[in-house]
Amino acid sequence: MAEQCAVIGVGQTHHKKRRDDVSIPGLLREAATRALDDAECTWADIDAIVIGKAPDAFEGIVQPELFLADALGGAGKPMLRVHTAGSVGGSTFIVGAHLVESRIHERVLAISWEKQSEGNAQWGLAGGRSRGIGAGGAFAPWIRAYIEKTGAPEYIGWQVAVKDRLNALKNPYAHLKLADISIEKVKESAMLWDPLRFLESCPSSDGACAVVLTNEANGKRASKPAAWVAATAVRSELGAFPGRDPVRPLAGVECAHDVYRQAGISVPRQEIDVAELYVPFSWYEPMWLEGHDIAGPGEGWKMVESGDTELTGSFPVNASGGVLSSNPIGASGMLRFAEAALQVRGLAGEHQVDGARTALAQAYGGGAQYFAMGILRSQPA
Amino acid sequence: MSQPRIVESTLEFPYSRTLGPVVGAFLSGLREHRILGIRTRAGKVLVPPLEYDPNTGDALDELVEVGPQGTVTSWTWVDEPTPKHPLDRPFAFALVTPDGAATAMVHAVDAGSIDRMSTGMRVQPRWRAEPHNMIDDLACWEPAS
Repeated sequence: MAEQCAVIGVGQTHHKKRRDDVSIPGLLREAATRALDDAECTWADIDAIVIGKAPDAFEGIVQPELFLADALGGAGKPMLRVHTAGSVGGSTFIVGAHLVESRIHERVLAISWEKQSEGNAQWGLAGGRSRGIGAGGAFAPWIRAYIEKTGAPEYIGWQVAVKDRLNALKNPYAHLKLADISIEKVKESAMLWDPLRFLESCPSSDGACAVVLTNEANGKRASKPAAWVAATAVRSELGAFPGRDPVRPLAGVECAHDVYRQAGISVPRQEIDVAELYVPFSWYEPMWLEGHDIAGPGEGWKMVESGDTELTGSFPVNASGGVLSSNPIGASGMLRFAEAALQVRGLAGEHQVDGARTALAQAYGGGAQYFAMGILRSQPA
Repeated sequence: MSQPRIVESTLEFPYSRTLGPVVGAFLSGLREHRILGIRTRAGKVLVPPLEYDPNTGDALDELVEVGPQGTVTSWTWVDEPTPKHPLDRPFAFALVTPDGAATAMVHAVDAGSIDRMSTGMRVQPRWRAEPHNMIDDLACWEPAS
């Protein structure tokens, strides 16, 4: 039987549009030292490092993991780079968890980051040419297809945009702090990619996130509660092929079913207490609720409408404020896992969901084609 | 007419770099004609300074002034400089250990002639007239007078 993996340390930076007070190594070390402190560990206690980020073109440093090895106490230690586009933070967490579960390493530091202010992500996404339509431009037609298929009212997207920004006010690390956010403000904000408006879109952030992962014995010995990794899965599919459903990608459906099966979950809506889903554009909340079979077809937007996904609702989504409030791209996926871990550890502070024992973490990337998902629990199996 | 076989494609995008408290202090020092290193817990002074000990990951914050003179520990002669080289006349690329430092930094030495170069030679900094917050605010090293 595989070793059980425990999350004993979680750390993140204050995410901002421009962290010009720190270097790139300094940004990573800010998150890493918070995770080490939380885990009551030092650099010397770490056996291996897994590092993830989105395309190197974003900052213009090729293979930044080589440049960052020393800054992460990596001298003489195994180090592995992960890259799976926007889902990379989730994949990085999962690779770290596998290194513990397979008993290859006892304590792993998994870290992911982006310093968007040092370059231009839209240019980077376009492979270094000025023909990019941006992520929003790629997703908008699929969002429109979802709206037409389900008959969802336009205000559903506005509701998600308001909810996540209100949650972000309770998260000290969140980038956007829009205290005066309202349905009216979202509705009146500029149309970027029909039907997506400015306030329905994620910001560009500088930030990093780190976790310390370890085995069952160390997890049980930790003085603070650990989060236990009950399930992990990744799935990928091509960005375009005949018969593909980009609104409900098969890779996302299968990835979700895999983690539910591993965790023994048969009714996700009832058995999961809180979810951190990768929602960079408001409509992706109902789309993933349906795309991961938490809600039935055409039922996802009704969960939003009825307030079920609010912090105090029956199925809170993105209590942290989510990607809509902080988007250091490479770190955004790991933040979903880190926030899920904080919830089941009972350490989420003001945005804590009462009694959270089982949390779903999800990240996606590329043209809704790379998925990384996990189930975290307050108790070991 | 022959069929075109190749088209040119040039990528160019200006990135910016945040310096952080340590490299930022190092570059500020160069403006004032001071070379700053940083002391590790083991007492070694690293130049240029890092925010962390590369051997242990420990955070470092004790900036110390080194130099201004240094010693060449290794070098190679560039007889025919190209437009991208730091000097427009024959010069040496050298590893220079500033006095008080435990590490050497790569830089150009303007010695005039290969005959003046030797391992162990003493050098002094030559400063750039108008600093611009880059490593070549220390324009190059030259034989100590």
